Amino acid sequence: MATLIQATEVSKVYHKTTVPVNALNGVTLRIEEGEFTAIVGPSGCGKTTLLNILGGLDHPTQGKVEIDGTDITTMKDSDLIDFRLHTIGFVFQAYNLIPVLTAKENIEFIMLLQKKSKKEREIRAIELLTRMGMVDKANQRPGELSGGQQQRVAVARALASNPRFILADEPTANLDSTSASNLLDLMAEINREQKATFVFSTHDQRVMDKARRLVTLRDGAIISDITR
Amino acid sequence: MLARIAWRNVWRNKARSGVVIGSMIVGIWALAFGGGFMQSFLTGYIQSAIQHEISNGQIHHPEFDKDQNIKYSIHNPEKILTYLSQQKSVKKICERSIVNGMISSSRQATGVKIVGVDPEEEAQVTQLGSLVADGEYFPHVSHPVLIGEKLAEKLKVKAKSKVVLTFQDVHGNITAGRFRVAGILHAASLVINESSAFVLREDINQLLGIPDAVHEIAYTTTVGTDDLALSNQLTKMFPDEKTESWQELSPSLVFMQEWMGAILKILIVIIMLALAFGIINTMLMAVLERIRELGVLMALGMKRSRVFTMIMIETIFLSLVGGPLGLLAGYATVSYLGEKGIDLSNYSKGLEAIGYENILYPSLGLTDYSQIVIGVLITALLASIYPAWKAIQYDPVEAIHSL
Ligand SMILES: Nc1ncnc2c1ncn2[C@@H]1O[C@H](COP(=O)(O)OP(=O)(O)OP(=O)(O)O)[C@@H](O)[C@H]1O
Ligand SMILES: [Mg+2]
Repeated sequence: MATLIQATEVSKVYHKTTVPVNALNGVTLRIEEGEFTAIVGPSGCGKTTLLNILGGLDHPTQGKVEIDGTDITTMKDSDLIDFRLHTIGFVFQAYNLIPVLTAKENIEFIMLLQKKSKKEREIRAIELLTRMGMVDKANQRPGELSGGQQQRVAVARALASNPRFILADEPTANLDSTSASNLLDLMAEINREQKATFVFSTHDQRVMDKARRLVTLRDGAIISDITR
Repeated sequence: MLARIAWRNVWRNKARSGVVIGSMIVGIWALAFGGGFMQSFLTGYIQSAIQHEISNGQIHHPEFDKDQNIKYSIHNPEKILTYLSQQKSVKKICERSIVNGMISSSRQATGVKIVGVDPEEEAQVTQLGSLVADGEYFPHVSHPVLIGEKLAEKLKVKAKSKVVLTFQDVHGNITAGRFRVAGILHAASLVINESSAFVLREDINQLLGIPDAVHEIAYTTTVGTDDLALSNQLTKMFPDEKTESWQELSPSLVFMQEWMGAILKILIVIIMLALAFGIINTMLMAVLERIRELGVLMALGMKRSRVFTMIMIETIFLSLVGGPLGLLAGYATVSYLGEKGIDLSNYSKGLEAIGYENILYPSLGLTDYSQIVIGVLITALLASIYPAWKAIQYDPVEAIHSL
């Protein structure tokens, strides 16, 4: 398998408080195409910080991150925006969807940013909604959907841009356990079927159990890395 | 899609957008109404001055202005009258003899401008006849005189009272004539009301000893005439006389016009400022409440410039809804009142004293309306810049994690 993400000696220090916070301490991590990997660890261990840096949303204080061999830590912010649009799919914990757009429009929106044609957008949006079991909710707005349904639309949107990998920071944190486990099953299926790479963080033991690789952080450092 | 999102965002908080749209409507309405009102005030004033007093233009001997000496009469009035009557833009013409003198009753005496007129001509040019409040307009009596209410009060005379006019004749001798007050004039103009006496031109010329003298020719013009251009043309034609349009005769009218224009501009600025703050406030709230959402958009790969544009479009949509409605309201009000008129007679004691008409007919031209529209659009655009700029100040990460 080819290396997709290579993080080398990544550190992040926050200086916002009087005492500097070492959110990440020299994290080195390699992620290959097709992985289904969970980043786990206690609250404050640096999961979000790591995912943000892997996704080009934040810059590390030290170290570098290469995606498909491209160093993204030296990229300008404006180039990073384009890079994210075409390379990375994001699922956040909450407030993922544009509230004034329907489920289908939310999915189309990301492809619109990519300047895909209207026809292509429509076909792909319907295809993804069908895959997520949400096609009957295509014309509903996020406010009319349950949390689990919203997250499924968010995953569909993340897939819509045909990214190289999908980053999901605690995608199930706001869901009840059944919805959480359903969402994870769906993600795992897509990972198997389409060889889509997923990297997600979680607190939830049941979600962790579904991961094939488990990277555990503590105090900003990797303390264990198990592949099952 | 950006437009669709913006449009739907406008209606996301209906009450808030409603307030902005409402204030836009009120602002534009106020502008249209205020503008129309002031316009009518101004035109009313100028029109009344032109119609009852100075006419669209006047011709004098070049020296006459200085001391109104009766020897400075117009060199060749016949030729000028013939020429004027051939001009399409000239409506009516009248000739006057003018001498400054004294008017005295049995009780009082005061300085007065004695104006000798041809009653028919004068009625057509200045509607002098319409001002007669008491008595008659030049009835067939010997030596009639018309004076204003104020003057009559001062002299303590009524219609049919006798007065004496005293002045110097062409040889410098003091001459006096007995006149009978034929009518009392009720005029907005101070000059007519307080210090003029209108007599027959033949009467005064005879007393002056210059039977054919004409000191003043006044003319009115058709609607839309460029009075300034016409007076220049007449000056070229008759270089021995001095022709002046109403603008030259009464610079205060022009000043007033400019002054009103300036007040209107200030009014516009004030209303626009209020509008701008309303928009800034609303859009800023709309932005701050959506920081997370905007952060997600930027994280996903939406360029800042697009986020900026989206917020701008939202504001434009707001004004596209509010603008036409306000314009419609303003137009409806101005048109309705333009037909019906605003009766100010309850307040007009003071107004009339300074020369205003009682009933105003507001009107606004197409240019005024388009100016208002452009003004509101520019204001809306400028006011949306700050909220839109604010929207893109956040890092996606910061925004997503902000509360
Ligand atoms: N923007 C920031 N400014 C200052 N300190 C920060 C910032 N973001 C995170 N930190 C600190 O960095 C450390 C790691 O935070 P991070 O959010 O990555 O942890 P996490 O593992 O995602 O925690 P959780 O499970 O609660 O989401 C924490 O100590 C946190 O207080
Ligand atoms: Mg976190």
